[in-house]
Amino acid sequence: MNVKKLIALILVVVMLAAMFAGCGKDDKVTLDVVVAEYGPNTAAWWKQFEADFEAANKDIDLLVDVVSWNDITAKVQTLIANNNAPDILNIDSFADYQAAGLLLPAQDYVSETTYAKFYQSFLDQSVVDGTVWAVPDLASCRAMYYNKDILDAAGVAVPTTFEELRKACEAIKAYDSSIYPWGVDMTSDEGQACFAYYIWNNGGDFTDAEGNWTLNDPKNVEAIEFIVGLVQDGLTNSDPATETRYVNQDMFGAGQVAMMIGPNSIPTYIADGGYSVNWGVAGIPASTGNSIAHGVMDRFMTFDNGYSEAEMAAITTFYDFFYEDTRYSEWVLMEGFLPATTAGGEAMAKADPANAAWIEIVGTAKFYPQSKAEWADVKTGVIEVEQSALQGGNVQELLDDLQAEIAG
Amino acid sequence: MTASLLNPRVKKLLLKFILYIVVIDICILILYPYFVMFCTALKSRAEIFAKEGTVFPIKALWQNFVDIWVKAPIGRNMINSLIVAGGSTIIAVVCGIPAAYALSRMKFKGQTAFLGFIIVSQMFAPVVLLIGIYKILAAFGLTNSLFGLICINAAFNQAFTVWLLRGTFMTISAEMEQAATIDGCNRLQAMFRVLLPVAAPGIVTTLIFIFINAWNEYTVAMCIISTDVLKPITVGINIFNGYNMIQWQYLFASSVFATIPVIIMFMCIEKHLVSGLTSGGVKG
Amino acid sequence: MSTKTLEKTSARELDPKKLAARKRAYRKAEPYIWIAPSLILMCLFIIVPIVYVFATAFGKVDRFGRISGFGGFENFANVLDNPEVGRVFLNTIVWTVLVVVISTILGFILALLLNNDFKGRKIARAIVVFPWATTLVVQASVWSFIINKDFGALNTLLKTLGIISTNIDWTPTPEAFFAWEIACGIFVTIPFVCFTVLSGLQSIDSSLYEAATVDGAGYWSKLFKITIPLVKPSLTVSTVLNIIYVFNSFPIVWTMTKGDPAYMTDTLVTYLYKLNFANFKPGEAAAISVIGFVILLACASLYMISTLKKGDE
Repeated sequence: MNVKKLIALILVVVMLAAMFAGCGKDDKVTLDVVVAEYGPNTAAWWKQFEADFEAANKDIDLLVDVVSWNDITAKVQTLIANNNAPDILNIDSFADYQAAGLLLPAQDYVSETTYAKFYQSFLDQSVVDGTVWAVPDLASCRAMYYNKDILDAAGVAVPTTFEELRKACEAIKAYDSSIYPWGVDMTSDEGQACFAYYIWNNGGDFTDAEGNWTLNDPKNVEAIEFIVGLVQDGLTNSDPATETRYVNQDMFGAGQVAMMIGPNSIPTYIADGGYSVNWGVAGIPASTGNSIAHGVMDRFMTFDNGYSEAEMAAITTFYDFFYEDTRYSEWVLMEGFLPATTAGGEAMAKADPANAAWIEIVGTAKFYPQSKAEWADVKTGVIEVEQSALQGGNVQELLDDLQAEIAG
Repeated sequence: MTASLLNPRVKKLLLKFILYIVVIDICILILYPYFVMFCTALKSRAEIFAKEGTVFPIKALWQNFVDIWVKAPIGRNMINSLIVAGGSTIIAVVCGIPAAYALSRMKFKGQTAFLGFIIVSQMFAPVVLLIGIYKILAAFGLTNSLFGLICINAAFNQAFTVWLLRGTFMTISAEMEQAATIDGCNRLQAMFRVLLPVAAPGIVTTLIFIFINAWNEYTVAMCIISTDVLKPITVGINIFNGYNMIQWQYLFASSVFATIPVIIMFMCIEKHLVSGLTSGGVKG
Repeated sequence: MSTKTLEKTSARELDPKKLAARKRAYRKAEPYIWIAPSLILMCLFIIVPIVYVFATAFGKVDRFGRISGFGGFENFANVLDNPEVGRVFLNTIVWTVLVVVISTILGFILALLLNNDFKGRKIARAIVVFPWATTLVVQASVWSFIINKDFGALNTLLKTLGIISTNIDWTPTPEAFFAWEIACGIFVTIPFVCFTVLSGLQSIDSSLYEAATVDGAGYWSKLFKITIPLVKPSLTVSTVLNIIYVFNSFPIVWTMTKGDPAYMTDTLVTYLYKLNFANFKPGEAAAISVIGFVILLACASLYMISTLKKGDE
């Protein structure tokens, strides 16, 4: 036997095999779709979607890649750096892609019938320079959940202000020191939500009315000092820098965390986990007394990859198919989110009257300033501020630095 | 030392006893995470997070082990991993053996440079090289293909392969091959007939190293594979390990499955590794 | 690449007349043909990406990693300006040194133990390979599950055994968390060292020990005079590779803390991953990796030169 011949043979065979594998495509239109994994049911849902879609559109080859939130930025980044952006992307922020000129305006590819389905207030969240660049795929709304039994046993009322919150926490800790009164998530996963909860409910904001960044606003500083103070006084879960909201949700379900701020999907999450906790829900405590609901929204966006007419039509078909009313309701209900279309909202309200209230609340909720190109940097910036503050950093100085870096 | 005062037989027994105790302790420590994994895989989320947790599941949910096969294409993922790890091992060895042979049996200019080059090629983490790796694979149309992954893994394991095999070959005397050459074999035949059989144990060690490395590779696979059915098991099970929400019971249940093939493979090969080795092994 | 190799071999066989001259030329070229497959494989799939990293590090790069010209040392200056860089470098050095040194020592001892003849040796060896056969992501997940304060398996176990009554916070500070990460790193690296040493031990001729025993050498003198010197060369290369792998190790730190809080537990690789994919500064990330490369290159060459000179080369 001749080893070189053998090597050659193996390589040739393998290369040919690879080429055949690569050449399996015919003249179908191919759509590359990258979507985020919202929860345990997402992947299976998309698999079904892919099958249904291809059955209904025989000339389109749909490639859906469900990527965990862990890896999705790395993946998209790699694709864009190689000038190989996905056709359609489902992720949270869009403004940095838009600022780099990578996106197509939503009205170029969403059919009029589908476009008319969205709540206007939701579309407004994706506007830059008067153009809508992305369409909402779902939303969720944050509020305070509390364990009724623990609050009753500790003899405290549901807190509505920052001051009451601290008092309630102290009372719960005095009642049973093995319970964490307040659940906080300052992880790189969702620390920006923590930032938003407290600054908004302390009368502060990320930006002023003109849209200029105001990260070091005194009210923001005060709010972050308040929550960091709660952590440092041992009134919260022990390690907010590494314990995510989901860990808190589980501990809330298990009765180890007495109160926490979380999404409207918490009841579903708790029931799925097999917990039996006697929970209640209320507005996020606000020092102003005027509780602000926090809305979170994710989006679909289409990258400008120089499409042919057939490809453009395929993209439009994709959106029509996705937002088709029954399919879209299933999508929203799947992981317990809130719909972004009127039809979806009606379907959900019919399924469960409790949802109607949520849909109403999310309509008035405040969202992250995601249409600003700096948002991605602000998001990582405020998380770093929180974590540094936990380590004993000065909130004022940290926020001053961040403000200078972002606005300066 | 006091031990030397003892009767040699008692001393020998005592040493054996200590050896057993130490080895058993180490094994327990190593197996503890797997014990935790297995017990947790059988729990519900409510039991995992229960305020007063238990070591063993109160109610064993064997269903978890069934659920994972429905929730993710675990079987398919494992086959992919086998293909990738197997393919990488073959290519790495097929390319590595001639190189190691040349380095151990011939003298040529740039020999040391080549050896250094191999080490230097390892000095960037794959995480750093992701974008470049994607570029080169895209140039060959190999993104989202198992063959692309095989090439990457084979390349990243060249350093190991070449260095280990070179060491093995160097411990084996070249005389037998020279004799074979005189008998009319060419170098290639001599290598196949004389050297490789003697070096088999060292080659087996190398195979294990590459196979395990390729089996465990995660970052590159995550970035270049985008279809569910092509994902290797490392990426596949990560569906239970979202950014924020780890489904411990499923993650651990699928990890139990993912570990088994490697262990079985190792146990099969281990026999060859131990059996009557007189030469071989690694040498710098 | 392989066709070229083919041509050369067959050419030699086809032309018997100029055999002598050809043979001489072939003798010269032969080694390069033998190393060609390996070389080409590495050049294609490793060197090309490495060149790209250098291009990024010295280029003007946008937030998506697209290069638009030459930027000189700008990326380097920017990244070294970040206040957390010092901490990250320190962490990386602590991480690499502790993991490599401790796992080498423990792996060596374990290999000596497993090299003894005892019942169940085969099972013990199979068990030792476990940590290595499990994906790092999973290993790190299990360990972070075990040491969790609130629902971790270790606290549950100790409580069940009656050793403790309230949960212990195993990770009260970022430093403590980092120490656990190092422990986990050692845990998964030991098998690698252990098997390298084991295969080295097996190549030692047993007659050497017999001769030493006849000369009246004890266990320790045999260990230091025969075993260690003979195993050392086999450890040299694997230690160098080990240093490189540990230095560049990503999954353990990433799974357990993601470098949080505020870069306190970051190593170079997790830090540059964040720079690249969370902070969108691919130019700075590439610059950091070039710096890491230079450090590795310096350490590895020093180590190689000092050990190989004394060694068998």
